[in-house]
Amino acid sequence: MMDIDDLLQEVSAHAVPQETRDLQELTRCWVAERAAPELLEWPEELMGRVLERIRRQIDIIEEATGSMDASTNFKLIIIQTELERFKFLVRSFLRARLKKIDAHPHHILSLLPAQPSLLSGTEHAYLTNHQALLANHYHASFLSQFPVPLQKLDDTTGGVSMVERPDENAAVFVRALREVEEVFVEGTERRFRMARGDVWVVRWRAVKGLVRAGMVEVI
Amino acid sequence: MYGEVGNKLVHHAKRTQALTNLPAYQTELVRAVTREVRDLDKDVAAILEPFAGTFNPSTEPATACALLVNHLCMRRNKRCLLAYHRTRTDKLEEMCWNGVDVLERQHDQHPGGRSHAEGQSSGSAADGSSSSLSPEEEEYVRQYSDLLAAYKGQWTDIDLTGSLEPPKDLFIDVRVLKDAGEIQTEYGAITLTKNSQFFVRQGDVERLIAQGYLQRLS
Repeated sequence: MMDIDDLLQEVSAHAVPQETRDLQELTRCWVAERAAPELLEWPEELMGRVLERIRRQIDIIEEATGSMDASTNFKLIIIQTELERFKFLVRSFLRARLKKIDAHPHHILSLLPAQPSLLSGTEHAYLTNHQALLANHYHASFLSQFPVPLQKLDDTTGGVSMVERPDENAAVFVRALREVEEVFVEGTERRFRMARGDVWVVRWRAVKGLVRAGMVEVI
Repeated sequence: MYGEVGNKLVHHAKRTQALTNLPAYQTELVRAVTREVRDLDKDVAAILEPFAGTFNPSTEPATACALLVNHLCMRRNKRCLLAYHRTRTDKLEEMCWNGVDVLERQHDQHPGGRSHAEGQSSGSAADGSSSSLSPEEEEYVRQYSDLLAAYKGQWTDIDLTGSLEPPKDLFIDVRVLKDAGEIQTEYGAITLTKNSQFFVRQGDVERLIAQGYLQRLS
């Protein structure tokens, strides 16, 4: 359901230039990725635009350096400062993702068939290569001398699964971007509604669908 | 006792987490745990042999219990070994990310420890180095560095291993702690001689700060 506020927001969103919206989007992705216990979708288009713009700014800086003109130099410093901030955002974002990729590799691999856009191409390559290296290392160090039925690395028999999963019950802070009729927390009897702008502390499991749909944001 | 050696490995792993340097690889313990697993596996085979594939747990509860204990011990040992190795590789990966040349440092660190290490691990001929890494781990570090370099190569504009602190100032004051030679910046070349001080762009010198050549002044 859309109310007048949503409509107003949509209208004003078009007045904001694409660059500004991308920065907001990138910041939002960065915050969400750092706060959410689970790996989120790879924002392919957004990253493409951001990286393209970073490259352009670097070109501008390279062309204009060496100029002795004071006002150009001042402009350059502003561009460079902005560039450093952008680079930091992207770097921190990528590192946060890599950390999760390294923590739950098998789990993420098992999700990939259903969610092919979870990882970027390079991340996927990193994940598979890294796991191959690790498996090799375990094998060379001790696993090759084990009885064959015990050599698996993703064994789920014997009561203890070897595949580590992210903690979906971890609590996250979220803010509602739109009115959410009902949130149901699985395993409890809690049901509640979120008005727009409300901030809640909820289990990740209960709101992850809403985060994906853009109804709430992680803060 | 079942699993006692595995427990020692876990203690080692736990201790490693709190250390900045990697302690020596426990070749003997790893081998002992692996041997225990193989022995247990042989025991299981020996227990099952008279039944010739027709073992029924409900008619022989005592034997079934023995088998279960053996199986659980094997799995537990495997977990201990995996945890031990994973803790160490995590540490090594962290060093790779921080730009520490692990292999070089290992060889620098124990110049006199060579004969000592050889005496301890008399069994393996390949372990001639003085390093606290196993040969497999050295290989792993080499391969992981390559992997990391390849991944970083996709993001040359970003410098993935750069600082994870939000940038505040574009330029910073640094003092040179060790002679680092000449570096190229957008504002020309700077020669970094010991004890001199510079006002430079943070992005240009981040690496050198991480490697200990420069100190940031606040």
